[in-house]
Amino acid sequence: MIFGTYAQDEEYLWKKFRAPQFDPCTGIDQDTAAKEIMRFAELDAPAPIVKARAFEFLAENLQIEVDPHDFFPAFACWKRRPCPMSPLLAELRKRIPLQQGELWGLLNQSGASNIWIDFDHSVPEWDEVFRLGFPGLLRNAMEWREKHRAAGTLDVAKEAYFEGIRITYGAMLRMLKRFIERAQGHDNARCHFVAASLQRLHDGPPQNFFDALQAIYLYFMFSEHIDHLQVRSLGNLDWLLTPFYDRDLKDDTFTDAQMREMFDHFFMQWGSIDNYWGQPVYLGGTRADGSTQVNHLTHFILEEAAKLHLPTPKIQIKIAANTPDEFIDKVTALIRDQNQSIVLVGEEGIRHIMTSHGYTEEDARTCLIRGCYEFGSRGRVHANTTGVGHLNMLKPFELIFNNGIDKQTRKPVGVPVPPLNALNSFDEFYRLYIQELDWIIEANIKVVNDFEAHLASINPANVFSPTIPNSLRTGRDAFDDGCDYNNSSLLTTGFGSAIDALSVIEELVYKKGEISLEKMAAALNANWEGYEELHRKILTFRKRYGNGIPEVDRFAQMLSRTLGNRINGRPNSRGGVWESSVHCAKQFIHQGAKTGATPDGRFAGEEMSKNASPAMGADVNGVTALLRSALAIDAASFPGDFPLDVMMHPSSVKGADGLAAWRQLLRVYFAGNGVAIHFNIFDAAKLKEAQKNPEKYSGLQIRVCGWNVRFTEMAKSEQDMYIRRAESIIE
Amino acid sequence: MTEARYIDIKRFAVHDGPGIRTTLFLKGCSLRCIWCHNPESRFPQPELAIHYPKCTCCGECAKVCFCHKIINGVHEFDRQACKACGQCTQTCPSGALELFGRTITVNEAAAKLLEDRIFYGNGGGITLSGGEPLLHSGFCTELLKKMQDEGIHGAVDTCGNVPWSAFERVLPYTDLFLYDFKCADAEKHRRLTGCGNELILENLKKLDATRKNIEIRMMLAPEQNMAPDDLQAAGKFLAPFKNISAIRLLAYHSLAHSKFRAVGHPDTLPDVPSPDAETLDRAAEILRSCGVKKVVNSLN
Repeated sequence: MIFGTYAQDEEYLWKKFRAPQFDPCTGIDQDTAAKEIMRFAELDAPAPIVKARAFEFLAENLQIEVDPHDFFPAFACWKRRPCPMSPLLAELRKRIPLQQGELWGLLNQSGASNIWIDFDHSVPEWDEVFRLGFPGLLRNAMEWREKHRAAGTLDVAKEAYFEGIRITYGAMLRMLKRFIERAQGHDNARCHFVAASLQRLHDGPPQNFFDALQAIYLYFMFSEHIDHLQVRSLGNLDWLLTPFYDRDLKDDTFTDAQMREMFDHFFMQWGSIDNYWGQPVYLGGTRADGSTQVNHLTHFILEEAAKLHLPTPKIQIKIAANTPDEFIDKVTALIRDQNQSIVLVGEEGIRHIMTSHGYTEEDARTCLIRGCYEFGSRGRVHANTTGVGHLNMLKPFELIFNNGIDKQTRKPVGVPVPPLNALNSFDEFYRLYIQELDWIIEANIKVVNDFEAHLASINPANVFSPTIPNSLRTGRDAFDDGCDYNNSSLLTTGFGSAIDALSVIEELVYKKGEISLEKMAAALNANWEGYEELHRKILTFRKRYGNGIPEVDRFAQMLSRTLGNRINGRPNSRGGVWESSVHCAKQFIHQGAKTGATPDGRFAGEEMSKNASPAMGADVNGVTALLRSALAIDAASFPGDFPLDVMMHPSSVKGADGLAAWRQLLRVYFAGNGVAIHFNIFDAAKLKEAQKNPEKYSGLQIRVCGWNVRFTEMAKSEQDMYIRRAESIIE
Repeated sequence: MTEARYIDIKRFAVHDGPGIRTTLFLKGCSLRCIWCHNPESRFPQPELAIHYPKCTCCGECAKVCFCHKIINGVHEFDRQACKACGQCTQTCPSGALELFGRTITVNEAAAKLLEDRIFYGNGGGITLSGGEPLLHSGFCTELLKKMQDEGIHGAVDTCGNVPWSAFERVLPYTDLFLYDFKCADAEKHRRLTGCGNELILENLKKLDATRKNIEIRMMLAPEQNMAPDDLQAAGKFLAPFKNISAIRLLAYHSLAHSKFRAVGHPDTLPDVPSPDAETLDRAAEILRSCGVKKVVNSLN
């Protein structure tokens, strides 16, 4: 039986990426592969070919399975850390001559920034994958090789680039053949159904709804699990799948119920993989012609996702001015019912940002959403942006109050600090803060530009590049300067906390004269011990970011302008530019752990504010005041991303009236150029109950940053943090 | 400039009238409902609240005011002697002290209410509540007129226990009245609120005759005002009205104990459970059986 078996299949699906079992006759296991892969390091060949040969080895030798319980094949490279390719790539990286290694180490160890090489935010041109299929992508690339050869532009580097693609895609097709043979060997109708689909994908582009899902899954596995390049969106699925769904329904190829079951299996692949950062897909928004993309497939996908109630895939919903009210209400009702994997992204704000940085209106309308909620152009022009560096907005305070010495490394970081009593006005203090920040920005850019010049040698994008037309046209790797836009994003951690710290300094030190800088320094360096009264006073200080107070929000404006001016448009080392982002991912915890006590009342080691959001518990004037604070910032300062987190009490959004008010809130936020916003809707009582009786709340999810986790799986300290936050929200 | 005392300004108030609203809660009330959820709003004069769970007994307040004493780790407060000057609230490092009843001018209130105007859209607006806002009818009139001049929808949330002249003043500038209805029986009303309901019912009739939009709000508490007889009497009284757009049923809850303690009022909250959605559905059915048309269960 092919359909109607999801309930029986679910156990297999959960184990597929957690504890899979493979028939040893089908090849070698992942650990063996990871050892054997190192012999390719000996190859005397350019990096794209070395990696392609390793890919070929894995595709031809890894254990495989096509299980009767599943519509999608199993690869014996299911463990993410390490991927079998990891040791080889580590070796390739050692060959790169880096000039700024020492500075890189200082930034990361001090927590002033946190930088790693980023291959985790690319998205293929899914339309190309669907148009050409795997053999078509190979054929297309080879045609471009011949064009370069004929034009006399096929130099050694381009020859290696195209040869890497040829080897890789040839290996992919041979691996499909292995799956087909394995599937045909099972005496099972579903395996034969899968084999037929794999054969079609071996021969050409996807032909029906199931082939389309299969193509996405296979591309994901080839790229992310073998080629070690993350696929940071499965695409705008309602756009991609609609033609297949409509045709299959019309031709009686599949029923709606059958396609829903296939889709459930499809989503469960990522439910089983269960990466903490979540697997993004996006829906809705507008088409290139300006009409709404919201259609029956948008509803179909949303309904299946709600039914499965998985923390991942996470769903990004693009909201435009013409997005129907009833669709927004359907989405927010799901969020209210604890589907925290949904995030909302405003097209108006994206349009404002992208057109401010040289993109067209159509580029903005058709942009892709990737990663947590970042956006970028696709289609006509493709942007591939790396996230390289997390600017610690609180580190300058630590340096100013500790004579320029970082507490982690005990080394000087930043610009020299004058005696505190020489800072006679708030303007002088603020200037010094910006100078320290500048130093970290410049150091970050210097380090990243050093290694990003070699991305194509560190991890050649053999699977990804052929999906990018400009990459083939130029014969350049898509992580080199092969995309139309090859930008680097500098992210920001502790934005809201920094505003609060500046507000405290201005008010209590300079305006009211209640605390001296010297006393503040002593309190911070003692981590508030012995200064409890001062600490309590600061904790009740109300002039904080997130409360719609113009006097405070001006700091948000000043800092965002400063970051924008210092970072945006600076050339990077791979033909693109730098972009500022106020997104922080998990760094609000990690960099918080490396930062001393700060004037906003934070203890040493505590987390900082995340994204464009206020510090935990700082916003006490309700959600409208919070949004006013965020809207005071010109989102165009942050072309890298501008996300906001909102926690609301369930009573605020109950009933149809609550949903209508919520929709109005969103409409206003997006019309005012707000970009990404995600919600946590719960009360403290429920969280406490879940902490006490985790067995009853295993499905309760919390949106942490760009991803969500099960509340009952969080550490108690993290749970307590969310409970405190929930206690502070207004009913 | 006309001014009034207020206790709070609530933003994103989505249950005080249609759409997104900002609600200004004025101080002073002419009823003493046993289930009062805002005891800090009852008296017209300023009052100091002590949020005891937040108090660390640091003694900072005692340094500026003799009304506060920390004795053996206990915060003792002489409420009779307190002049509600609010000085102690400035010194409290833990935010445990709060002064209710600060004055606000019409212009200041208007500025606060307009801060969120971008969120009001066509459906939302502002609501004046309390306490009983119409005890400040002059202030409300000026404020509502300013809102009307700005094109902002204005609602008044009233218990109705004020002279009709107060209604007459605000009528031209009010788009919606949220009118509390406690119970139809005068004696029971007196027991539950300290006051009969004759004036309230009379004002409701007069208000209906003005053809202004009225939403009735019935807070239902088990064993107090939601027996079938209570509901039938309410339904029979309300059924003939022409301009009631909805009767909204609200569920009693007992979450205000800490507020009573904070402001030092005797806690009168009845020890009864909060009705659930199904209970309110049954109450709605009884009201509908009396000919009342649009009944809304706020828990659905």
